[in-house]
Amino acid sequence: MPFLSKTQIIMAIAALGLAATVLDLVRRRRLSEEYSLLWMVSTVVVAILGFSTPVLKSVTHALGILYESSMVFMIGLAFGTTMLLYLSVRLSRLGREHQAVIREVALLRHELETLAGREAPTPGAGA
Amino acid sequence: MSELRTLVVIPALDEEECIGATLDELRRLAPDVDVLVVDDGSRDRSGAVARERGVAVVRHVTNLGVGGALQTGFRYALEHGYAIAAQLDADGQHDPAFLAALVAPVAAGECDVSIGSRYVADSGYHAPAGRRLGMLLFSGVVRLALGRRIADTTSGFRAYNRPVMEVCQHDFPVDFPDAPLLISLGRRGFRLREVPVRMRERRAGTSFYTLGKSLYYPYKNLLASLMAWIQRPV
Repeated sequence: MPFLSKTQIIMAIAALGLAATVLDLVRRRRLSEEYSLLWMVSTVVVAILGFSTPVLKSVTHALGILYESSMVFMIGLAFGTTMLLYLSVRLSRLGREHQAVIREVALLRHELETLAGREAPTPGAGA
Repeated sequence: MSELRTLVVIPALDEEECIGATLDELRRLAPDVDVLVVDDGSRDRSGAVARERGVAVVRHVTNLGVGGALQTGFRYALEHGYAIAAQLDADGQHDPAFLAALVAPVAAGECDVSIGSRYVADSGYHAPAGRRLGMLLFSGVVRLALGRRIADTTSGFRAYNRPVMEVCQHDFPVDFPDAPLLISLGRRGFRLREVPVRMRERRAGTSFYTLGKSLYYPYKNLLASLMAWIQRPV
C-alpha cells in the first residue's frame, strides 16, 4: 500500500515533532537522558506505524483490533499509563529520599546547636 | 526504673498549647529519663516551648508525619547510645505515670516492643464509635497476620529496644506507624507485648488523625498491613 492516509501523515509528523522536542529538551538539559528514553521509544514506534501502512495494518490485525485508528489510540494510552506509573514510582522514591534528607538536616542542626551551646555557659542537664 | 538509658521521644506538630504541661508532668513523674521532642514542622511555638524546659529539640523543616518523627527519634537514640526509646504523645493522652511499667518489660529483655494498651485492663477510655470500629478492624488484621491478638493496635504509647530501632531505620511505615509496623515487626520475630495503661482525652490542639485523613488512613493502613504481611523482611 503505497498511499499514506491523512491520519497517518499527521501522526508521523507529530511523532517526529515530538522526537525533535524531546531531543531539544535533553540538549538544553531541561530533561534528563533517563526520562527521555521512554519518550523516544514511543515516538519512534508511532513514527514507524505512521510511515508504514503494511506494518500498521499487520500489527493491528495481529492484535485482533478492527480499526487502525483504535490501534493508535491504544498505543497512546499504553504509553501514557506507563509514563504515569513510572513517574509515580520515581515520586515515591524522591519522597523517601526527601524524608531522609530532612531527618539528616534536623539531626545535624541539633548537633550544631548543641556544640554552639557548649561554648557558651548554659545550665545543662548531664545526660 | 531500670539502669538502661531510656529516651522518651515526643513527636509534636502544632502542640504549643499542651506540650509544656506534658513535659512538666513527665519531668515530675519520670525525672530520670531523657527527653527528645521532634518538632515535625510546627508553625507554632511547640519547639520553643520545649526548649524553654531544657529538653532536646530536633526540628523537621517540613512535616513528615508521626512515623517520620519517630524515625528521627530512633536515629537520635541510636546515635546517643540509648538502650530504649519510648514514644509519648505531646497532647497529654499518655499518662507518664505508666512510663515505668511500659519500659520495664523491654528493659528486662522480656519483649522487644511494649505497647501501652487501653484494652488489656479497664482503663476508663472511651473512643468514638468510628474510631472503635477502625481499632476492631486493624486488631483483626493484625490477628490474621500474626496469629495473635493485639487489642490496641493504634496506641502510640510504646517502648522499643535497640534491635527494633535499628530495623526501623531502614524499613518503616512512615505515615501511620500502627498496624503495619506491628505486623512487620512481628513477622521479623520481634516479641511484642501489651501493657495496660490509662489514656486520657487530649489536652488541646487537633489530633494527627483527622478530617481528610479519616478516609486515607484506613485505606493506607489496610494496604500497608497487607504489604507488611506478604513482604519478605529485608
